[in-house]
Amino acid sequence: MPGVNEMAEVQLADVFVEMADTLVDEFDVIDFLHVLTQRCVQLLGVSAAGLLLTDQQDTLQVVAASSERTRLLELFQLQTDQGPCVDCFRTGQPVSVADLTAAGRWPGFAVAAAEVGFASVHALPMRLRTEVIGALNFFDTSRGPLDGDKVRIGQALADVATIGLLQQRAIHRRDVLTEQLQTALNSRVLIEQAKGVLAERLQLDMDKAFMVLRSEARNRNRRLSELAKAIVDGSERISEASDADHSG
Amino acid sequence: MMNADRRMRLWRLVAEHAHGRQVAVEDVCAAVRSAVGVDRIAVAVQLAATPWETLYASDQIALELRELAMTVGEGPGLDPLANGPTLVADLTAAECLARWPMFAPAAVDAGVRAVFAFPLQVGAVRLGVMDLYHGTPGELQRRRLADALLLADTACALLLDAARPGGSEVAGRWPARAGTEHPEVHQATGMITVQLGVTAAVALIRLRAYAYAHDRRLHDVAGDVVARRLRFDPEPEGAADERGG
Repeated sequence: MPGVNEMAEVQLADVFVEMADTLVDEFDVIDFLHVLTQRCVQLLGVSAAGLLLTDQQDTLQVVAASSERTRLLELFQLQTDQGPCVDCFRTGQPVSVADLTAAGRWPGFAVAAAEVGFASVHALPMRLRTEVIGALNFFDTSRGPLDGDKVRIGQALADVATIGLLQQRAIHRRDVLTEQLQTALNSRVLIEQAKGVLAERLQLDMDKAFMVLRSEARNRNRRLSELAKAIVDGSERISEASDADHSG
Repeated sequence: MMNADRRMRLWRLVAEHAHGRQVAVEDVCAAVRSAVGVDRIAVAVQLAATPWETLYASDQIALELRELAMTVGEGPGLDPLANGPTLVADLTAAECLARWPMFAPAAVDAGVRAVFAFPLQVGAVRLGVMDLYHGTPGELQRRRLADALLLADTACALLLDAARPGGSEVAGRWPARAGTEHPEVHQATGMITVQLGVTAAVALIRLRAYAYAHDRRLHDVAGDVVARRLRFDPEPEGAADERGG
């Protein structure tokens, strides 16, 4: 992993400018969080990043990941029962496991992570004042801790994610937080349903289906979740031709 | 798991209200009133291409408010763009009067100060809305909110399962969570809409019915669909046809 000092500061600044720009426009929260997880991978030099939010019924749900590979999503989701991510969520503190083989606390999770080739895992809390609303979760194929600078950058990105989720609305009441959290979770369900429609219609795997959906939303200048809804209710279609154009 | 404890407690409460009958949406509503501590509740459903219909109202005022919202076309839970709950701690707030100029004053006149509307939905599957009305202003406390969200999900699951073809409820059965955290359930729903040429609601009903009929967990069946080990074919009685993996 390159150290933060070697990391181009320009790149770091670019990411925060990109995120701030996105927040100004009318934007899709799931797409925003997806880009944010991808930037985490680039800036922190980790293999994968995922973002989980509370459904306010004691379960964490995956709303965005740097890659939509089914096994990766499953691995993030697996941690809602046991794992560093759920511990981070419950305590509100960062959890870092430099070597998963030496971590006996979550046997089921450690085995599943090893199967997918991950050696270390880190989780940072998403906080709104006293309330923990989710966690940003990183996997890496090499062992080792996340150094202090990276933890700070990761936490700044987790805070940006929280701001993005709230979408400029003044959160002086829990009501608004609930409305936004539940909306984000339902948008994520919509996107999964649309991935299924595209996977079946175009005979793609789920990862590819997401890429097609996302690039079509960008081409048509539509919000990701709006296009997903239109695809699921059949009012809009994506043809195989678009698949050939954008699947790369 | 904390969630399992909460679900168990609430399901028991719902079942108590059913007094041994098959559990219905009205029992969930009764459980909402006691667990969440609200005065009134109404559930309205909107099935494909039909107008809104009030399925349950705890009393005349709840019924009238629900009907009023539908008649004037405004009110919490009626915003077609809202993709999540609408939680209104005080209907006399200026922003509420601006947002619902007809509904808000009428509700206040009827003695209602807080409204909490929870959509009964699973992604693109939108079945209806559950409205909670309370006579004193104030937000829902965190635990009550969690109970309300979970019970709204239960109502959603019951509506889906009641619609399944020829399916009689197994007494006391705990319905699979509608807003499940397992993404493969939602992916499979999308795949089945294409396989059967049906709406997402019908696809989800069929997926759930298959899991019950085969006594399997919903997300395991969905995993088979996503892995293309199981396909739903439009033919005889719509029975899903298992294919070797």
